[in-house]
This record gives sequence, structure tokens and C-alpha cells, in this order.
Amino acid sequence: MLGDLKLLLPALTPSWRFFDSVGPSPRIEYAMRATPQAMPEWREFRPRPATMSLGEILRRLVWSPDRNESLFLTSCAERLLENETAHSRDEIRARIVADLGPDAQPHLQFRIAVLRREGADLVREIAYVSALLPRA
Amino acid sequence: MTLDFAIRLTEIGLGLCLIQRSLEHLARRGELWLFGPRLGFCAGLVAGVAPGWMALALLVNGVALLRRFGGPYNGGSTRMGLLILICLTLAEFAPGETWKATAFGYLGAQVALSYFISGWVKVVNPEWRSGRALRDVFLFSAYPAAESFRRLAERPRLLAAAGWGVMMLELLFPLSLLTAPTLYAALALCAAFHLANAVLFGLNRFFWIWLTAYPSLIWLQARAMEG
Repeated sequence: MLGDLKLLLPALTPSWRFFDSVGPSPRIEYAMRATPQAMPEWREFRPRPATMSLGEILRRLVWSPDRNESLFLTSCAERLLENETAHSRDEIRARIVADLGPDAQPHLQFRIAVLRREGADLVREIAYVSALLPRA
Repeated sequence: MTLDFAIRLTEIGLGLCLIQRSLEHLARRGELWLFGPRLGFCAGLVAGVAPGWMALALLVNGVALLRRFGGPYNGGSTRMGLLILICLTLAEFAPGETWKATAFGYLGAQVALSYFISGWVKVVNPEWRSGRALRDVFLFSAYPAAESFRRLAERPRLLAAAGWGVMMLELLFPLSLLTAPTLYAALALCAAFHLANAVLFGLNRFFWIWLTAYPSLIWLQARAMEG
């Protein structure tokens, strides 16, 4: 009950600090492997489209399940970097597995690359690497 | 706009927003045990069938979703949905008109605060004042919905002007409450701002849920002017 109240309280007294600063930005990458010893080939998970047509933009105003799920996974990645929890790890893993389908290789690993500003430069670094996870 | 009409409009808007969200979840992940009942409660809320109980059921369901997703699924838009639900539930079960008006007025006040505080936290940040923050949003944040939108980062003057436009709109929003016409104009500009966020960043849920809360502000402004 107390836990529920703690979850609900930020909705009752919101902070409304939208975009107060632009912090490090996470990207989820994954690699599938046939064996645990195989070298990983990292790929970005759900890269955004290069362009979007007007029709696609209008459709997304009312129907955007993939995009909203990707925003949720960005939150999971941020939570994982703050404090590793099984919940965030499992949510990301489940989405990668669901997207890859049944024919994917049996071992999965994902990592979180972070882009951040350092003075005039953009810096990219790997901030988290998961253990080797079973696909199933 | 009467209090009851404003509440009814908000209930219909919220019900439709939550139906849209539930269908998106069902399309992606299933989880019918969570979103099936939610759809039923939303339909009841839109139809006006025992709206207080429907809002309460949706609030309980909303807490279950917070548990399921370890927090809000989509940050501020999820929280705004919950805030509207809390205020509607309190308003529906309020023991008298004064408490009802207070619960619903709280929502209107929070909407006004959502703009003012968002503007304040930006304007005190030198990176927002220089335009660099908005450039960084397009350059490397996870938000742009398509790679082509990142090219806007190459137009620093445009982004600096847009950043100042957003900050001024947000900071000055409370002043728009002084008259009905200025409030309508400010709400139209804010809706355009949310629409731009939906187009550029894919934040469609913010667009619909903030619009849903607007009747509370329109009612609050009229009530305040009545004295």
C-alpha cells in the first residue's frame, strides 16, 4: 500500500520539469550469438526511420505503439544506468526477443551506449553491458 | 462552461485517451488481463455510466500499471493521465459543490503550473537561453522520431528563436488566465506546441492528454473571473 502511494504521489504533485537539461542519451544495442564464445556483432535496437512521410506522421498522432514502446525502453535504459534492476533488464530483453522472432540465434546480449556532450564535442561510451542471456 | 459540463468533457476526453493507449498496448504485448478491464472502464467513463466508479476503477488499474512497468510507462503523459483520474475521482465523490470545484480546480491549476514550471526550469538554464539545449535535443537526444529531423540541429538561429518562443509561451501562460480570449489564444498556441512535439518527437500521448485537461482550465478561469 505504501509502495503504491509512493508510485502515485508524483502524479498528484508533479514536478513538471520537462527538458530542464539535455542529459546523456542512451541507445540500446544488441548482439545475438550462436555460441557463448562467438564474437558479438552489435546492432542498434529499433533505429529510428531515416525519414517519415506526412501520412506516417499523421497516423502516428493516433496510432504509435512502437514509438511509445521505444520511449518506454529509453526510460528502462536510463533506470538501468541509475540502478540495475531485473525489471528494466527483463523489459528490454523481452522486447528484443519479441522483435527478432523465433529464428534468432540462442544467445542474446545487449548493451547501452550513451551519447553526451563534453564541451564542444559529442562523446559516445558504453555504459552498460548485460550478461549473456538466453533468448527463450 | 459549467462545472458539470467541464467534468463531463474531461471524462470523455480521458476515456478516449486511455482507450487509445490500451489498444496500443494490446497490439504490442497483449496483457489482456490488465488492458481488457481498462477498456471496459474507459467505455463506461465515455458513456457516462457511473463515471465516479469508472474513474476509481481506472485509478486502481493505473496503479497496477505503475507496478507492472516499474513506474510511468511514458513519463509525464502517464502522470498527467493519473492526475486527471485522481481529480475526476475526487470530484465525482466530493461531498458538496465546494469540494467538487476544489478537486477539479486543482487539475486546472496543475495544468497552468505544468507550463510555467517547464518554462522556468528552462529559462534559468544558460544552455536553453543560448539555444544549445534545443540543438542538443535534435542533435543527439533519443527524442527525434526520424533521423531527418536531426538536420534541424544545423539551424541554430531557428532553434534559438524556437527555444525562446517556447520559454516565453510557458512562462507567460499564467497571465493568459486574466481574460477568456487570452486563455483561448494561449491554449491554441500550447496545443500547437504539443502537436509539434508529437510530430517531431513522437510524443502523441502528451498531445491528447494535455488537450483533455484544457476544460479544467477554461472552467477555472471563468470561475475565477466570477469571483
